[in-house]
Amino acid sequence: MTEAGTSGVLGVGAELTGPARVMTSERIQWYDSAMLSAAKGELARVGTNIHTDAEYAKSQGLPAVIADGMISTNWLSSMMLTHFGMDYLERGELRTKFIKPIFLGTLVTARGRVQAVERRESGALSYTLEVWCEDEKGVKLTVGDARVEVAPRR
Amino acid sequence: MEAGDVFEPVEYVVTPFICSEYAHGVEENCEWFHSAETPAGRQIRPPTMIHVDKMRILEKNCRKEQRVSGAKGPHARIHYEYHARHHSPAFVGERLIVSGRITDKYVKRGRTYIDYALEVRTADGRLVTTYTDKTLLKYEKEAGND
Repeated sequence: MTEAGTSGVLGVGAELTGPARVMTSERIQWYDSAMLSAAKGELARVGTNIHTDAEYAKSQGLPAVIADGMISTNWLSSMMLTHFGMDYLERGELRTKFIKPIFLGTLVTARGRVQAVERRESGALSYTLEVWCEDEKGVKLTVGDARVEVAPRR
Repeated sequence: MEAGDVFEPVEYVVTPFICSEYAHGVEENCEWFHSAETPAGRQIRPPTMIHVDKMRILEKNCRKEQRVSGAKGPHARIHYEYHARHHSPAFVGERLIVSGRITDKYVKRGRTYIDYALEVRTADGRLVTTYTDKTLLKYEKEAGND
């Protein structure tokens, strides 16, 4: 079994890093087709939209194809899962805002920073984090916050 | 679609295919989403699939928003904010019920936004996910509409 949530106690200011990946047309196709397949319950392939077709994107007022915001959201969610495991799935929260478009060729890195840690009466640790995806220059493209309550370990 | 509209719920059974296919599409390699090799002994639905649930409920309730079927509205929607709270994992084999409503529709800086609130429960009533969402209905600004 792949282990998740094995990072131990994190203090305020602790930084998390998720995947660093270049946004490619293949990754956009993978996501869009997977989303459609999951919605239909059968293999599907994405058609023309603002994420896959430059001309259509321009017809909608965009300068070029942009990545679906759920790609960066998923990379942040994966970072949370890696650090907090089942606690994230049972008592976690993730909010993301897509403040800048992600264009093809951008190196996107998922990151997080612990902003607060509180111990509950139950012994659980409640974490609040700032999370974001940035480009290779450190410009934030997707921003948000996350919370998770980590149950006491027996 | 207007503020206050309540969606007709959608139901579906979580299958190994939809979990694994979605996880694969976002390069999520955690084995929990691909097989029953999990702490619970059952394959888990990726938590971000709440967004797929949004697509399912829009598909059923909004003829102009049937993107899953390949339909295009007059303007491309642009997702602006995702906010999911996870209350319990959903497992393969469980029947899920997705309900929701439109909480607001407004113009901000010349662009029209729509806000949704969704809830996912298992058929026996266990809360899985609560979710809110902001989406732009059209990227291009409306002239003089602020």
